[in-house]
Amino acid sequence: MEVLRLIDYSLPKVEEIVIKPNMCYYWDWSTGQTTDPLFVAALIDLLREEISSQVKISIVESDASAMKCKYAFKYLGYEKLAKEYDVNLVNLSEAEAEKAQVSANGEVFEFSVPKIIKDADLRVNAAKMKYMSFTKVSCALKNIYGCNPYSKKFQFHSKLDKVLAALNKVMPFNLHMLDGLTVCGSKPLKLGLIMASQDPVATDAAAATIMGINPKSLAYLKLAEKEGLGKSKFVPKGTDLRYFKSLYPRKSLSEKTLLFGYRVACALGLDKRLI
Amino acid sequence: MVVISVKKVNVGVIGLGFIGKVHLRNCLRLQAVNVMAVADTSKKALNYAKTFGVKQVFTDYHELLKLDGLDAVIISLPTHLHADCAISAMELGRHVFLEKPLARNLREGQEIISAARRSGVKFMVGYPLRFAQDFGNLRSLMESGVLGDIQIAHAVNIASGPFMHRAEGTAPRPIPEWWLNKELTGGGALMDLGCHMINLLRWYLGDVSNIKARLGHRFNFEFEDHATCLLNFESGASAVVNVGWFSQSTALCVELFGTMTYAQANHSASNKVTTAIKLILGRTPKFFVPYLKELAHFVDYINGCNGENILSGENALSDLDVIAKAYKNQIK
Repeated sequence: MEVLRLIDYSLPKVEEIVIKPNMCYYWDWSTGQTTDPLFVAALIDLLREEISSQVKISIVESDASAMKCKYAFKYLGYEKLAKEYDVNLVNLSEAEAEKAQVSANGEVFEFSVPKIIKDADLRVNAAKMKYMSFTKVSCALKNIYGCNPYSKKFQFHSKLDKVLAALNKVMPFNLHMLDGLTVCGSKPLKLGLIMASQDPVATDAAAATIMGINPKSLAYLKLAEKEGLGKSKFVPKGTDLRYFKSLYPRKSLSEKTLLFGYRVACALGLDKRLI
Repeated sequence: MVVISVKKVNVGVIGLGFIGKVHLRNCLRLQAVNVMAVADTSKKALNYAKTFGVKQVFTDYHELLKLDGLDAVIISLPTHLHADCAISAMELGRHVFLEKPLARNLREGQEIISAARRSGVKFMVGYPLRFAQDFGNLRSLMESGVLGDIQIAHAVNIASGPFMHRAEGTAPRPIPEWWLNKELTGGGALMDLGCHMINLLRWYLGDVSNIKARLGHRFNFEFEDHATCLLNFESGASAVVNVGWFSQSTALCVELFGTMTYAQANHSASNKVTTAIKLILGRTPKFFVPYLKELAHFVDYINGCNGENILSGENALSDLDVIAKAYKNQIK
């Protein structure tokens, strides 16, 4: 609640809420890659206390190239959570959806927008902060990538900047809550950070700063700002950002070199000789 | 001087998942092996084999088994297919190398062994740790008497199992769904990793007299993702085995505590970068070596170059029997 007070956000009196945690492959919360179910549980408690005990809450995620919700929900502890907290668990890849067209940087995309997201009164993005090969940073804007019900998501990787902007435009979330309790940089670390904002661009800019990346160097963030999704200039409140920045486990030069080497090997087609 | 003429063995590799590909690459390294054909349901996997010069590829292993001149098959299929594939191969007179575990359950294991006896073919079950230098050295040390009489042992095999987490920058790999179905695997981490450690401990300490197990379910599946087993041996020694699929890194070691002193074998994980570079250059990475040695042992066994098959079906059936008892005698 403290974090919402800091950003002067009052939870609206609504009936239907959607929470989108980050479920990335089968990494559990301890790796820092996925949203901690306990973070979501605390969020549910907060929503019920502040709004109503009767409010209908759904936790949503979609199938991905190498992840199936039916296993991820179980593996990551969300099936257990849904039972204990009496909330719905929705695989967006199997949910009712409507086609919608949206443009980003002059390119028009057509996505299936799940009805449960479209019809929700309040959409809460429970994101993680982590490094990502294509966008460098994965945080609030990238988490909405998982609201696209289409499972073969790797097909969008070549134009991820535009796709992220487009998806966030067609499925805008009201509140972005960052679970930085355990983060993964070069290694997992219990950072103990919770961040909130109504602006996903500002959230990502703040996260990038903590991760030691200049937000201005992030093409996807520039485009998101250009598309009117938010402002990259932010006013930090609460604990000094520099404290978290000093702790964040950044990638070493050798790790970056290895990744670069791997990409070169892939570009040369040498990865076909691997197993 | 005795000259042994070694016949080139015509081999078919069935199943090209991760370990199947390791076997294929190793077959290509052995001079006494000719890879006649491969079989897999995945076209991508078959194309992989073609890049290494394999000419005949099949999506149905029954077709491969019918090939004229085929001497032996290496089977690395999901566990529920072990019995059908191994028995079909044996009935056609093919020697069989079968990946561990022998089968999903004792009944299927016994059926495979009966088929091997009926057909008279040579049959070996793959346990690469028996060919790993660290574990071999530990056994030599134990046999030398330096450790005294072994009273207590501790074996650990912790890895990511089917949840092989992707390295950053690589394409995510979907988990083959059979791994997540207990009906198809016969069990979880205890079956998959426990059989390695039980086989090793039986090699060191002899027959198991009883076993109890505590099965863990961190990831909420019906199969165990980790297990702790307490074993007693006929020799009077006892052991603790810890296995798990929950970690992103690998821990694989055995410690033996004797009346004189103790010793351990710590099988360190291969360096991913070195492995990748060696694979690209066509060399043999460290991880492949025990698999290469076991395959060489199988080929020598077929050619009559070594008298004994150290990894018989009966041996693997004993492991399966111990595991079945562990599932039965659970500590809640």
